[in-house]
Amino acid sequence: MGISPGMQSGGFEAGAAIRAATSTAKKRGEHQFPGKLFVVEGIDGSGKSTQLSLLHKWLESRGYGVVFSEWNSSPLVKDTTKLGKKKKLLTPATFSLIHSTDFADRTERSILPLLKAGAVVLCDRYMYTAFARDVARGMDREWVRDLYGFAVQPTVAFYFRVPLETAIGRLLDARDGFKFYEAGMDLGLSDDPEESFRLFQGRIIEEYEKMIPEFGLTVIDATLPIEIQQTRVRQIVKSHISDAVELRMQP
Amino acid sequence: MRETYGKLLPGMDLSHVSGKLIVIEGTDGAGRTTQMELLKPWLEELGHAVLDTGMTRSTLAGDGIRRAKEGVNLGRVTQSLFYATDFVDRLENEIVPALRAGFIVLTDRYVYSLMARAMVRGTDPQWIRSIYSVALKPDAVFYLRLGIEQLVPRVVFSRGFDYWESGMDLYPGQDMYDSFCNYQAALLAEFDRLSEEFKFETVDAAADARSVFSQLKVKILALLENDSRKQFLSMLAMRAAGGFMPKAEEDAIAAAARKHSVTRDLELVSQPFAAHAPNGNGNGHGAIQHLKPSA
Repeated sequence: MGISPGMQSGGFEAGAAIRAATSTAKKRGEHQFPGKLFVVEGIDGSGKSTQLSLLHKWLESRGYGVVFSEWNSSPLVKDTTKLGKKKKLLTPATFSLIHSTDFADRTERSILPLLKAGAVVLCDRYMYTAFARDVARGMDREWVRDLYGFAVQPTVAFYFRVPLETAIGRLLDARDGFKFYEAGMDLGLSDDPEESFRLFQGRIIEEYEKMIPEFGLTVIDATLPIEIQQTRVRQIVKSHISDAVELRMQP
Repeated sequence: MRETYGKLLPGMDLSHVSGKLIVIEGTDGAGRTTQMELLKPWLEELGHAVLDTGMTRSTLAGDGIRRAKEGVNLGRVTQSLFYATDFVDRLENEIVPALRAGFIVLTDRYVYSLMARAMVRGTDPQWIRSIYSVALKPDAVFYLRLGIEQLVPRVVFSRGFDYWESGMDLYPGQDMYDSFCNYQAALLAEFDRLSEEFKFETVDAAADARSVFSQLKVKILALLENDSRKQFLSMLAMRAAGGFMPKAEEDAIAAAARKHSVTRDLELVSQPFAAHAPNGNGNGHGAIQHLKPSA
């Protein structure tokens, strides 16, 4: 997993931490664990995954124990999500719940224990993705925030801000079209996938914009050259781990 | 008008929900399944359309939960949310559509069991309540209550120990028996608390299945009859006021009256029902007999 054996002595018993996390559902303070948590957010085509992967390489090259966790990737849950998407069984409510289940499994099984163990944890999408998408699908804002009451507050949450048209251009260059739920086709906004994507992602951007002050998201201008963005990201990350010498793996 | 416990899911229309939602709750070994199996055919015989549902029966999440429980690495929060997914899938796709179509929905466990399991596992009560604020308030919750001294032998001697039923995820390191006793006692305490909060109707599940069934029948008939009595009274009120009632509605009420006059002949109805009549005159049937339209 990219962390030294010594770091695992913190143990993987996340029970107490989960209890602590869910019992402080409303007041989401920064976690008290030795590890650091950096997350990237933004609409599809914002380039956030590219930036996170560059950050990952850099942290590793500097000797940190780094672990990566991706949205929608829990081995226990992802088959159910896949089934729901393939058969179009998901409503806004069950879409929201199954994604929170996936996130909970990753939180309980890896994110929390690894933070306790002192790792640098990188997440491609975090609870803010759910706040943006689920609310854009019509779920109650407060209900969705409560649902993620067990989530750990990240050390830094980067929001890659990009105009809708730029993101659409990037996506269309890279592949053929849009997937059903990704384009918000379940909402019946438009029969045309591209138009539906445009409307749905527009709503998502509105939600992200509201979250910048609400959660103190760190905005990165995702229209800038990749290298410039990465330099900023590294500067910010560095300022949070410079004192965390114990995170470095011994060569 | 139907209500939820606080939040309404998008697209959920509760304006014309005419069916009845009846919940059978209780710990493991309380005989819920047996009663479900007795109640469904009985209600159908009385002419009611019945949908029965229960945990992990959703198309979306049922198989996923079963697969996840094959191993022993399903965390507490994940478990709660997986079950919530299963519940909401059934709420949206089974329970509410059936209620709108006028069915009686019989459910083996409801959100209370899920809350109890989560709270016993140490999750924040406010968190789990917030999730289930989207649940529909049922017409009745029958809590089949079994004391811990009866519960333990009933489960242990009939089907042995199950990892999750024994709460082994909560008390690792204990043997299955000790863990089972601790877990079930904690659940029972939680159920008793919920029973007060949500006004369950407690049925003593220590009695034999047949007498539990009889008690449930009496309570359910009262619930159904209450409703048709209200219809009669509103019809009478309209007539007295010289109001006009559509023919179809009048026919429906006459049909309901016929149906319930049949139920009156069934065993167990006459005496116990009178004792349970909620209108205070101690004669639940009187009203119906006198108000019955002279067809």
